Amino acid sequence: MIKKKMTTAFFALTMATGMLLTGCGGEEQAATKTKKEAAKSDEPVTLQFWDENAGPARTPVWEEVIKRFEEKNPNINVEYVGIPNSSAKSKYDAAIAADDMPDIGSVQTTWLPEFSIREALLPLDSHFEKSDISKKINPSATGVNKKITQDGKLYGIPYAQNLDALWIRTDWFEQASVQEPKTWDEFFTVIEKMRDQANNRYGFTIRGGAGASFTIQRAMFAYSGLDFFDKNGKTNINDPKHVEFVEKYFSYYDKLTPKSDITNGYKEMIAGFDTGVVAMVHHNPGSYGEHNKALPAGSYKLIPLPTTEKGQYVAEGGNAVNLAIFKSTEHADEAWKFVEFVNSEEAQSYWNQQTGQIPTNSDVLDDKWVQDAQHIKTAFEVYNNPDTKLYEPPFYLPDYRAILDGVVDPGVQAVMSGKMSAKDFLDEWAKAIEDSKAKYDQTFKK
Amino acid sequence: MFTANKKVDKLLTLYLPLTMLLSFTIFPIYWTLNTAFKPEGDIVKRPLQYMPINPTTENFVTAWTNVGFATFFKNSLIVGVSTVLVVLVCSTLSGYALSRYQFKGKRSFMIMLLCTQFIPRAMMIIPLFVIFKNLGLISNPLSLIITYTAIEIPFTTILMSGFISNVPKELEEAAVIDGCTKLQALRFVVFPLLLPGIVATGVFTFIYTWNEFLIALMLTNQQSKFTLPVGLSTMMGEFSINYGALAAGSVIALIPAVILFAYAQKHLVNGMGGAVKG
Repeated sequence: MIKKKMTTAFFALTMATGMLLTGCGGEEQAATKTKKEAAKSDEPVTLQFWDENAGPARTPVWEEVIKRFEEKNPNINVEYVGIPNSSAKSKYDAAIAADDMPDIGSVQTTWLPEFSIREALLPLDSHFEKSDISKKINPSATGVNKKITQDGKLYGIPYAQNLDALWIRTDWFEQASVQEPKTWDEFFTVIEKMRDQANNRYGFTIRGGAGASFTIQRAMFAYSGLDFFDKNGKTNINDPKHVEFVEKYFSYYDKLTPKSDITNGYKEMIAGFDTGVVAMVHHNPGSYGEHNKALPAGSYKLIPLPTTEKGQYVAEGGNAVNLAIFKSTEHADEAWKFVEFVNSEEAQSYWNQQTGQIPTNSDVLDDKWVQDAQHIKTAFEVYNNPDTKLYEPPFYLPDYRAILDGVVDPGVQAVMSGKMSAKDFLDEWAKAIEDSKAKYDQTFKK
Repeated sequence: MFTANKKVDKLLTLYLPLTMLLSFTIFPIYWTLNTAFKPEGDIVKRPLQYMPINPTTENFVTAWTNVGFATFFKNSLIVGVSTVLVVLVCSTLSGYALSRYQFKGKRSFMIMLLCTQFIPRAMMIIPLFVIFKNLGLISNPLSLIITYTAIEIPFTTILMSGFISNVPKELEEAAVIDGCTKLQALRFVVFPLLLPGIVATGVFTFIYTWNEFLIALMLTNQQSKFTLPVGLSTMMGEFSINYGALAAGSVIALIPAVILFAYAQKHLVNGMGGAVKG
């Protein structure tokens, strides 16, 4: 009797678990089936779109863009998948390795060369040339995207660009009668002047944690005005000017900037500015939404990074985010329709206004919100200045990002903690770049 | 004098360290709760508010309805409960075999089980992705259940074999002499004594599946199939963080774990302490 009860209980448990699991699987199988069946052109098509920077600010904006697209294209359904920014590259890597990619993905410029070498992306040249958006999208942004790929093809259409700049607390500057810094010398003087021990305020916060490599690279080149490589193909990373800058920049750590800077990622750095601890922060227009929430209007603004000795602005070429179509898609034409829509005046204007990024579609530049948004206008002033120098990092090196994450980020912390000299750090960084470039040149017989 | 000294000693050696430890542990939870009940504008406002001045449940509503935590919660529950069930059945049976039977290569088998725990999870991502893609199980909770079960079984088997070894073999033999079959002896004699161990193993497994992020993110390509940790991470964009909803989501994610611990606390302490003594 007991044996029978136990056997019944065991089978019931097994069946319940089985039913639960089969229930979960049924929906997925149905979805896969639908995807395959939908390959016929006259039937509804579902496109999967991966957002590489999902978050409370961007996800609803993408959902609205997708809604507007679906209204105009009732046969195309776009399924949004938001991926947290910190894990997005790994997620794409795994998907490419397993050949299970989305139809469309939002990808950073630095990923394009690697993804194209891995033959994960569809070249978009012919689609782009035939489309009206080819006359509107910033040619320098698409030019960089072509230049950095091994075969010179266009794999990503930039829908937003960015620019490193300084957010400053204008109210504190006024109180202290300090002028906005225009040169790097003035920048360092301002850091000293804005230190207010009584109120626990600092003039600046250094990014020492995740993403420190981007900040220091852009600051260094903005200071020197050099190209990434010299005429002989040797990198300028460890040029004496950069050594001089890095030494001075990090010498302020823990004396005139907060001790916690050594672990500063984006969140910590912006929180320092938004909670009234620091007077200046090196970031980009993208953090506008955060400042807008935390600080009173008129108490902060965006100013360009200081100029070189020659008075020249410097910006990093390819500081953009793109839409790419993955090779595995069964619906390339429908996917292109989505890419085209996102880059239309309507969608770019809405998306960039909501996220505080800089549009790449020239038609958007005349929109009232662009004229009224101080941070966007500042960014345009830099990009539209004929003397602005664009330096181009070697995004095409497959190791480029790995060097930034694996050599530069830890190197910054080593310099900040006094375990490494600025020169040794820059020499190590330069060597990593040159080794990687030599390997690349050898592979592709440049 | 002696009593006063004893009191001071107790204060310094017992109450003070315990209070410090408790404050250290409780503070993040208190701050999460404090943030969860604050309106968005008050969260980063200076001076800091140590208690919400304008308390609101808006963040919970946002997290549960707008952000989709109800779905993430359901997904996590399905994965967690299913994994615990499978792990408990498998690890109890295999733990029993390891504890009660002598067989050739038993020691090597135990070492192999332990070795599986040293494989970095990140190394398994791409092979797992390929396997589950070929099985058509990407974005299917079954892929997570299978993976978590495979990851957890070696450790929980060793854990269970330890608990089972603490149950005197003589009790089983006595039950068999009294007319029980082997299964009945297991069901009526061994399992009741193993309850603290089963609870400890179950809680341990559940907490792992409830908190696991990397594998869940990699094997799920549909928003509607995200588990809680993956859902929580989408609250943190590169340029924006919804602190209120994030805190509310964390509180929601904490609830099952707290309930589970409150219920299982007694068994857990007994279980971790080595189950029954012979």
